Formats: sequence, C-alpha cells, structure tokens
Amino acid sequence: MAVETRALHLLLPDGLAASSVADTLATEIPIVSHKAHTVQRVFWDTFDGRLHGGGLALVEAAGRLALTDLRTGAERAGAMHRRGAPRLFAADLPAGPLRDELAGVIEMRALAPIARVRSRQLPLNVLDEVGKIVVRMRVEEPAAIVDDTRVPLPPRLHLDGVRGYDREFDELRALLDATLGLREAPRAVQDDAVECEGGIVGGCSSKLRVELGAADRADAAAAAILRRLLEIIEVNLPGTLAGTDSEFLHDLRVAVRRTRALQRELRGVFAPQPLRVFRAHFKELQRITGPTRDLDVQLLEFDELAAGLPGGAAGDVAPLRRLLEDRLVVERRSMERALRSDTTRAVLDDWSTLIEELERSASASGPDASRPVAELAAERISTVYRQMVKAGSQIGEDSPAEALHDLRKQGKELRYLLEFFATLFPDCVVKPMVSSLKGLQDVLGTFQDREVQADLLRSLGDEIARLEGGPAALMAMGVLAERLGAQQAQARERFAERFGAFAAKSQRKLVAQTFG
Amino acid sequence: MTRVIALYNIKGGVGKTSASVNLAWLAAAGGARVLLWDLDPQGAATYLLRVKPKVRGGARKLVRGKSDPAALLKGTDHERLDLLPGDFSYRNMDLELRDTKRPAKGLERVLDRLTEEEDYDYVFLDCPPAISLASESIFRAADVLLVPLIPTPLSLRTFEQLRAFMATDVAKAPAILAFFSMADGHRPLHAEVIAEMSAAHRGVLGAVIPAATDVERMAVQRRALAQFAPRGRAGRAYEALWDELRARLE
Repeated sequence: MAVETRALHLLLPDGLAASSVADTLATEIPIVSHKAHTVQRVFWDTFDGRLHGGGLALVEAAGRLALTDLRTGAERAGAMHRRGAPRLFAADLPAGPLRDELAGVIEMRALAPIARVRSRQLPLNVLDEVGKIVVRMRVEEPAAIVDDTRVPLPPRLHLDGVRGYDREFDELRALLDATLGLREAPRAVQDDAVECEGGIVGGCSSKLRVELGAADRADAAAAAILRRLLEIIEVNLPGTLAGTDSEFLHDLRVAVRRTRALQRELRGVFAPQPLRVFRAHFKELQRITGPTRDLDVQLLEFDELAAGLPGGAAGDVAPLRRLLEDRLVVERRSMERALRSDTTRAVLDDWSTLIEELERSASASGPDASRPVAELAAERISTVYRQMVKAGSQIGEDSPAEALHDLRKQGKELRYLLEFFATLFPDCVVKPMVSSLKGLQDVLGTFQDREVQADLLRSLGDEIARLEGGPAALMAMGVLAERLGAQQAQARERFAERFGAFAAKSQRKLVAQTFG
Repeated sequence: MTRVIALYNIKGGVGKTSASVNLAWLAAAGGARVLLWDLDPQGAATYLLRVKPKVRGGARKLVRGKSDPAALLKGTDHERLDLLPGDFSYRNMDLELRDTKRPAKGLERVLDRLTEEEDYDYVFLDCPPAISLASESIFRAADVLLVPLIPTPLSLRTFEQLRAFMATDVAKAPAILAFFSMADGHRPLHAEVIAEMSAAHRGVLGAVIPAATDVERMAVQRRALAQFAPRGRAGRAYEALWDELRARLE
C-alpha cells in the first residue's frame, strides 16, 4: 500500500480574508506566502458519476487533465489536454497512466464537463527551521461559473501534508483549532459547484433503489417502482437523443424492460384496459430502440472480437466495422425520430398520469390493488421460479435453441422481480438466489448473444462481398462466425451445471419456505 | 514504466549530486512523478533538498528488506519529487549487501518494492564515487548509467575504463550515457576534449554543464537551480540536458 499523505480541507467563515489567515498564523509559525493567483478549473465526470463514486475527480486546468483523489486532491495521473471537446472517452486520451486508470473506471461511458470553477488561491507554506516546506497550505476563494456568471462558493483553507512530515501536519492542525477554530469542509469544491449549476452531486444514477414496506398496498408499491423507472427513462432520454454514449440508451431500455416486466407480473393491480394500451406502447418503445442497441453492442465488442483473429486478419474486418457504423447511423436516425415524436411524449406523459393515480389509489384498479405487496411479490417470485425449474429441467442436449431463449426471458423476469422486491425479503435468501440466477443467465446470455452475432455476420455477407476489401473481410468473418459458434456450444455445455445450482434441492426448499 | 537513471562516476567531485538534484527537479517540474535516492553516505543531495540525512534502520535494514522503503520517503519542496534520503550508514553498503542472499540484486529489490507501491515515472540514483559491490548493485538496478565527465584527458581515461568494465564484467549492464560537467569555456583543452569525445561516442550527450557560480551557490541556497537561477547559464544547460536525456529515454 502506498503511504498516504495527510490532507485537510477547512471552511473559512465569511468575511475572514486570506491575508488575515496568513497574519494570524505568521505570529505562531514560520510561513511563507506566495503571490496569489487565479486558477480556472473544469471538472469532468460521467453522467452517472463513476469517478465521484470511485472517490476520484478529473480536473482540467491550464491545458492539462489530472485525475485526483476527490478527498485529498492528490494527483494520481495526468496528461496534457486540448480544450474544446464537449465530451471525452478514455480512448480519446493519449496512451499512458491517465488513460489506463480512467478506462478502468469509466469503461464505455463518456466524460463531460460537470462544473466550472474559478478560484483565487493564496499559497501559504509552512517551513521548518531550515526553510523546507513541511506542510502546504492554500487559501481558496472559489466561484462557480454558471452561464458566464460568477457565483461565489464558501472559501476554504486547504492543508496538504508533505510525505514524512506528519508530526508537523498534526501540530499545524492543533494550532488551527486553537487559533481559528475552523470547521472541516463536508465536501469537495466541485460538489458545491455541481449543486450550484443545478446538477446532481455524485452523478445521476440509473439504479432502482425503491424502499417498500411489506404491508404497503400493491398499487402504491407498483406506483413507487414505476415512478422511479419513469424517472430513469426521462433522465436518460436527452443523452440517448444526443448520442452522448451508448449507456444512455442501455439504461433507458433496461428501465423500459423493467416497466414491461412489472406491467406483466403485477397485472392484477391495474385496470385491464389502460394496462393493455400501455403494454403495447412500451413494447413499441422497446422495439424502436432495439436495432440501435444491438449495433451499439456489436461495435462495443468489435475490437475484442477482432483481436481474437489470427495474424493480420484483425485488420481485414475493417469493412465490417464500417458497415456496422453506417447501419448504426441509419438506425439511430430512425430511433431518434421515433423518440422525439409527439406520440412518445404523449405515452410518457399519460403513463406518468396513470402512475400518479396509482399513487393516490385513485384509478380504476384491478383485483390485486389493495393486497399487501409482500404477499403478491412472494406469489409471483415463487411462481416464476417454479416455472423456470420446470422449463429448465426439460432442456436436454437435443432441445432447440428456442427453449434456452425462453428460459432466459423467464430468468430476466425473475431477476427483475427480485430487484423490485428485494427489500421485502431476507438478504440471506435473496442474495444466493440472485447469485445462482446470475450464473445461469450469464450462460444463457452468452448462448443467445453469440447466436445473434453469428446470424448478423451471415446476414451481412452479401453486402460485405460488394465492398472494397470484401473478400478478405468475408474470410475473416467466416473465422469469426466459427468462433462464435464454438463459444455458443461452450455456453450450452455449461448450462447443465449452472442450472443444477439454480434448481438445487436446497435452493428450491429455501424458495418454498420464503415465498411459499 | 519507471525509468531508473543512475548518476555515476568512479571519480568524485564531477557534478553527480548537482546533476541528480537538478535533473530530478526538472523532471518533476515537467509533470513526472520522480524519486531521488541519495545513495552517497555524505548525503549531499539530501542536504541540498533541506532534508535530514537520516534513514531509520540504516542501510542494514533497508537492503535486508526489514524496513518499508515507502515509509522512509520524504517529500521535497516540489510536490512531485520524493527523496529517499542519504544516511551515513550507507558507507557500509558493501558489507550490508555482502550479507544478503544475492548482493547484486540488493538495491533492485528495494526499488522494486518502492515502484510497486508508488507510480514513479523516473528514479534518479545519486551514487557514491567508487567501484564496488554497491556499484554492481546499482548497475543491476539502473536502466541508464548517466556519467558526468569533466572534459580532461584523465576523465576520459576513467570513462573508457568504466565502459570496458561494463562490457566485460557486468552481466546485465545498463545503457551508458555521458555528459560534460564543470566545463570551462576559457580552457582550450576542455573544448578539444568535448569535440573529440562527442565525435567519437554516440552516448555522449550534446548539452554541456558549465563550471558556474550558480552551481556552487546551490549549496548556499539549498535549492535546485530551477528554483533560484533558472535562466542562468547553468540553469539553461541543465534544462537542455534534461530535454536531451528525456528524448533518449523515450
């Protein structure tokens, strides 16, 4: 483990000027103040705040990007950066530690500016008896830049320890307590600035996180989950339309799919007629976003897939990539048109109204609306689990691929039910159940995805053959299709073992005891 | 990837310490994370950076892996430059290494532990003037041996001896680069030697560090040239040397 240096960030009371801090401390300890200067910083993060969540901050200042520790401000990696880009992927950065470290955290997500801060900074270094810096101090008077307007943020005093001089740091801290009695800053300057801009500190999560009570009415519980899912759809819609990165569409589609699962599983909560209409609308939402997502996935996995090709064949599939990219442009345009349409807007608004009525238990409802949610959830989980055990047990070596695909669909349904209602049941039951289900779904997912990928390659054959470099690409695609087939076969071989764990006697007993 | 650069010469008083401190500082100022290990028991580099020449547990615990080297590091006045200080016990480095299992790997082991934990771009070793077991351990640990040469015929003879020794007696020899240090522009002999050597050896860098008062003043100022005389002759020469060295390392 690297030795951490100490750091402390204190809030300065309003009206306490930087010079007063320096004057007060100078009577007690040798400090040297340097010329005050102004620093302009732009803070970057992904939409879902992956850097913030990892305790990191990406700071752009003076043409350089630095990845720092959010709490201490200590730099972990840096690189020069040309200004002006509205978004950045890890791959856009020059090769080096910054790109490597960022890629591990943000993966395929885009970075975008989340706050701009202009600060006047006065460095005040604490020296030892030979004039060496033993603690770095800095008075900062920050202002968020919101629409070209400066909005002052609380001033701070930063203390950064120097490695090997912990005693001096602690002595300074004690002195500050005794003389100025300053309060520790509860969060970083960038968080103040993000809030000032109207953003969400820590990023915008697409996690479900809905707390339910076992005795809650089923309609109110369904409304709470659906409200959160609608929020996720709405919040990811602008990024999906702008094509900022592939994960906006992914998160939007997951929320749509979860909404559809809840509409199906808790259908007895709703009045039948409006539910039928909305189920059709959400099915359509899923349909219009499908091709773009499929192509996103193909392109996200393209390099990994091509890297598996022997020798120079990895370069031969370039025409395939171009074709997929061209198709993505066409599909995206069509998806955007549909998502921007008045119909989509009306569906989401009307759905919001229906949720509101559910929240107030004011809508015409179905027979399950007033039942305790825990009872209904247990019933559904138990039923879907039993259906899966039955269906999976009938799958043998000769079963058609559709049987595995259908089981995967049921698995998704069960996974969503467990996510919706996890808080109603003991962790010791839900966690192992999710774990064995995940193991099974991974295998089923690989089985189906490889088939879809191989089908796509086959369907593109004629078109690729007509392109420049087509024959070489076709040969490489043949190798790829073969590999995908082999991976699909491997997934099928692993099915029995994974299903065995999912449907084990102990697991079945636990499910029966907990969910009935 | 960490690059280890050892400032080394069999002779003393040729400008190893000044070069170590100035180059390490310039590397840090350029954005790199840098470690300077003062291996000289005199601790001159440590003195220049205003740090106490003291290492808890001394050379013995350090080379035997009994001390955590990361806990011995000291931050300097540059936030990206750390120092593993010199210590008088380093005078016994040969003895301490001899008592370990594989003496020639002793310093490399310490550096491996440090660079596993710390993400340094460059490590500079300020080496004592000798050719000994400790030197062999330095050769093993270093990627580059950077040799300061006073442009005199005797210095050159020493350099040739070093090259011959590295070629014949060192199993895993680092690359050898040299530069002229303490050069006096008023002495025709210095100019002749510089011209002759530069033409004869590809490993001789073009930047020449002059014999300048600024370099001597480092001991009074206890700072790197970049801190108090960056635009002086010597300051500019070190900057040119660092640019050239960095390009060679890339």
